[in-house]
Amino acid sequence: MPAILKFLCRIALVLVFAVPAAVTVAPAYAQAEPEFYDVPYAPGQWNIGRRLDQSQLRYCIDPRQPDWEVAGAIADAVAGALLLEPQRYEVERAFVLENITQVYGIMLEHCDLHMGFKLIPEGYGNWAALTRAYYEAQYVFVTADPDIGSLAELAPARPIGATVGTSAHIRLVSYLGALPREERWPTYPMGTNELALESLLNGTIDVALVWAPSLWAKQRTTPAYADFHVIDPAPLPPTTLGVGALMLADETFLRTAVDEAIAALSQDGTIADILETYKFPASVSP
Amino acid sequence: MFSGKILALLAVAASSCSLLAVQVAAQDPIDSISPVTKEMLLNPPDSDWLMWRRTYDGWGYSPLDQINKENVGQLQLAWSWGMSPGGRSQETPLVHDGVMFLQNSTHLIQALNAATGDLIWEYQYELPDDVNPNGERSKAIYEDKLIVATRDAHLIALDINTGQLVWDKQVANYEQGFAFSSGPIVANGVIIQGTTGCSNAQPGGCFFTGHDVETGAELWRVHTIARGDTPEGNSWNGLPVESRYGASAWITGSYDPEQNLVFAGVGQIYPWNAEIAGLTPPSSDPDVTNEALYTNSTLAIDPNTGELKWYYQHLPTDSLDLDYVYERLLIDLPVDGEMRQQVVTTGKIGIIESLDRTSGEWLWSKETGPQNVVLSIDPETGEKEINPDVIPVIGETTFNCPADPGAKAWQATAYSPRTKALYLPMVEFCSNTTVNPLDPGEIYTGGGLQTYSRVPHPDSDGNIGQVRAINLEDQSEMWEYRQYAPVTSSTLPTGGGLVFVGTLDRHFLAFDDETGDILWRSGKLTNSLESFPISYEADGKQYVAIVANWASGLGRLQSLTPDVVLPANNPAAVFVFALPDQMAGN
Repeated sequence: MPAILKFLCRIALVLVFAVPAAVTVAPAYAQAEPEFYDVPYAPGQWNIGRRLDQSQLRYCIDPRQPDWEVAGAIADAVAGALLLEPQRYEVERAFVLENITQVYGIMLEHCDLHMGFKLIPEGYGNWAALTRAYYEAQYVFVTADPDIGSLAELAPARPIGATVGTSAHIRLVSYLGALPREERWPTYPMGTNELALESLLNGTIDVALVWAPSLWAKQRTTPAYADFHVIDPAPLPPTTLGVGALMLADETFLRTAVDEAIAALSQDGTIADILETYKFPASVSP
Repeated sequence: MFSGKILALLAVAASSCSLLAVQVAAQDPIDSISPVTKEMLLNPPDSDWLMWRRTYDGWGYSPLDQINKENVGQLQLAWSWGMSPGGRSQETPLVHDGVMFLQNSTHLIQALNAATGDLIWEYQYELPDDVNPNGERSKAIYEDKLIVATRDAHLIALDINTGQLVWDKQVANYEQGFAFSSGPIVANGVIIQGTTGCSNAQPGGCFFTGHDVETGAELWRVHTIARGDTPEGNSWNGLPVESRYGASAWITGSYDPEQNLVFAGVGQIYPWNAEIAGLTPPSSDPDVTNEALYTNSTLAIDPNTGELKWYYQHLPTDSLDLDYVYERLLIDLPVDGEMRQQVVTTGKIGIIESLDRTSGEWLWSKETGPQNVVLSIDPETGEKEINPDVIPVIGETTFNCPADPGAKAWQATAYSPRTKALYLPMVEFCSNTTVNPLDPGEIYTGGGLQTYSRVPHPDSDGNIGQVRAINLEDQSEMWEYRQYAPVTSSTLPTGGGLVFVGTLDRHFLAFDDETGDILWRSGKLTNSLESFPISYEADGKQYVAIVANWASGLGRLQSLTPDVVLPANNPAAVFVFALPDQMAGN
C-alpha cells in the first residue's frame, strides 16, 4: 500500500487540525446569520454539540440510494487509508425524494462524509462541498424490446421516459429541440428512476433514461426487470458523471485528506476491486 | 397563588385521559367560550378572528375602531408570548371569546388568554422524526373544535375547551412528500383542505379534500391536475398522468355562502421549466394542448359534493414558478357600471385580476409593480401574451422580473370596505435564471431544476419593500409606500382607518389607510415579521397581534439586504399591542 503510506505523516496533522476545525467552524453558520435560501436550517441545530472522538471517520450512507452498499465499502476503505475507525451511520428516512438541504442536518449530527453525490458544476449551495469522485457512472437508455440495440433504432413515435431534470434528460431535451418535429421522440419526465423503470415495465414508455446504478439495483432485487437491456445512446453521446461524498464546506482539511485517500485507493486498485465485487456499473474515476 | 396551584393540579388530573393535553389552569375566557356556529362563521362578531382572513370573503379586515388614526401613536405592547424557535411559522392566530389559539412550528398548539397572554391549555402533536417542524398559515374553528392541519398531512380536531384530541385523520402519505402548509376552511359544515408538496415524487399532483367535521372522514377529493379524455385532461401536451407534476394547493380558500362555492388557487407546474416538464414544444396532435390545467388557476368548488363548478387559468404553461395560488377575495363592486360579484386575486407577478365569481368570466386586471413577464393582457378574456425573452432556455441565462418568490407572495392582500382599497404587501426585484441539472443524489434533489440568481430591478431606487393601495372601484393607485427592507407580513386594514404591516427589519407599521402616511412604528421586535397580523377585542379592549418569525417567502430576499441582520436560531413570538388602559376606556 505505498500510496497509502504516503499519507501517514499527514494524518497526524489532519487529526490535529481538521476535526476540531470542522466541529468549531460548522456551527458558525447558525451563529452568524439565520437561515436564508442557501444556508439550510436543521431543526435543533443549536443543540448539536462538538463530538469528542477524533479517531473516527464518520460517514453516512442512505439505503434509499442504489449504491449504498458499494458506497459503504468505499467509505470503509477511505477510513482505513486515513488510519481512522470507520463510523457508519445509515440514514433511516422514508421520503421518496427530499430536498438536498435536508442533508445539512443529517451531517451536522451524524457524519463528516455523506456518500453518493454527483459532481455537478454549480449544483450545490455554498454550504456544501464535494470530495473528488470515487467512481464514474452513466445515465443509460434501457429497453425491454430485444430488437432495439441503439437509440437511433427507436421509431420517432415511440416514447422515452426520462428521470426528470438529470444531466442526461436535459441533454436529450436539448437534442430533440434541434430536430424536426416529425423526428422527435415523445419524452415523458419521470419523477424518479424507479418510476421510469416501472413505466417501462408496464408499457407506458418504450425506452427509459435512468441512472445506471438504479437499473443495477432494481435488477438485483426484482426478477421482472431482468430482461431490460442497455442500448447504445447514439446519436447522443453517453452522459457520465463522477460520484463523490458530500461534506460541509468548512471541512477543508479533512476534505483534502479524503481526496488524497480516494486518489490513492483509485490508483492502487482498491476501489476497482470493490466495484468488481458488486458487479457495479461504474468505473474508477481517472 | 395557593388556589391557583390547586386549580392547576386539578386540571392536570382531569386531563389524564390524554397524556398530551395539559390543562394548566382554569381561566375566565375558557370557562365562557361558546361553540362557533355556522351562523357565527357567516357573520363573525367584530371582536373575533375566527378563520384565516377573519371572514369568508377573505378580506383580512377588522371592523374594530378603538385604535384609530388619532390614537394609534399611543399603541404599546400589551403582552408577548414566546413560541417554539426554529422552523417557519407564518402563523395566523385565531381569537374567539377572548381566547387566542396558536400553532407553533413544532405543532405545539396552545390556547392563551387573549387579554393577558396567559396559557390556558396546550396540546403537542407529535410529528414523525423525519418531518421538519414548520407551522401552518391557518386553522379553523367549528362548533367546539379547533381544526388543525399538520406537516405530515394529517387533519386533527381538538376540543377548544380542553385541548384534548377529538379525532386525527391521515389525509395523505407524507413519505411521498404530501404535506399541509396551510389549514382548512369550514364551509357549509364541511372541512376543505388543500395539499402541497407535490413535486417529483407525486405523479398526478395534489388535491383538495372535503371532510366530515365530526370524524374527519374524507367526503370527496378534487385533483388539481386534470386527467381523463377531456379538454382539461388533454391539456398536458400528451403526457401520461405519471409524468404530470406540481399543482400544489397550499393556500386556504374563500367561501361564498350565497352560491355555496369555495374559491381557491392552484400552484404552478413542477419542475418549473416547461421544456423539462415536457410541455414544450407543443404537440402536433390537434386534440392536445399544453396549458397544464389546473395549474395557476382559480377553482370554484362545491364544498358539499366536491364538484368543480368552474375554473379560470391565469397563467398557462408557466415556466418561471410564478404561482397564482394565493388568497381569493370576494368583493361586490360595479364594473363598467354594472354590479358584479367578483373574486379578486393577485399572483406572484403582482397583477391583480378579477373574475365574475358566478361564472368564472374574466373582468379586469391591474398591473402594480414592475415586471417583464407579461407583455399584454387581452381586455376581453384576460389572456396574457408572455414575453418570449424571459422563458428559460437550456443553455442560456434569462432575465425576469419578478423572480420566483414573487413581487407578491404568500403574504396576503387585504381589502377595506372603508376605502374600497386593496392593500398589497410587495417587493421589487428580478432574477437571472438558468436551467440547471439539479439531481445531485438519487433521493436528494435540488429543487425545481432552475437556478434563480436574485438581483435588484435595473431601475431600482434601492427600496425593495413596498405597500400599495389600489382602489378597486376604478383600479386606480391611491398610494404607495417604499422602503429598503422587504415588507414581509400580510396587510391588516381596520375600521379605525389603519393598515398594519410587518417588515423584514423587525418593525410593525401602521399606515393611514387613505394617504399611506406612517402613523405608528413599533420598536424593533425579536425577528422578521413574516405572518398574518390580526385584530380582536377582549374585555372591551382592541388588540393588534402579529407573530415574529423568519419564515422564508419574501424573507429570502435577505440575500439582497445582507445588512438586515436577524437573530440566530430563528426565535418566534407573538406580540400583542393595545392602547393604554385609560385611552381604551378600561
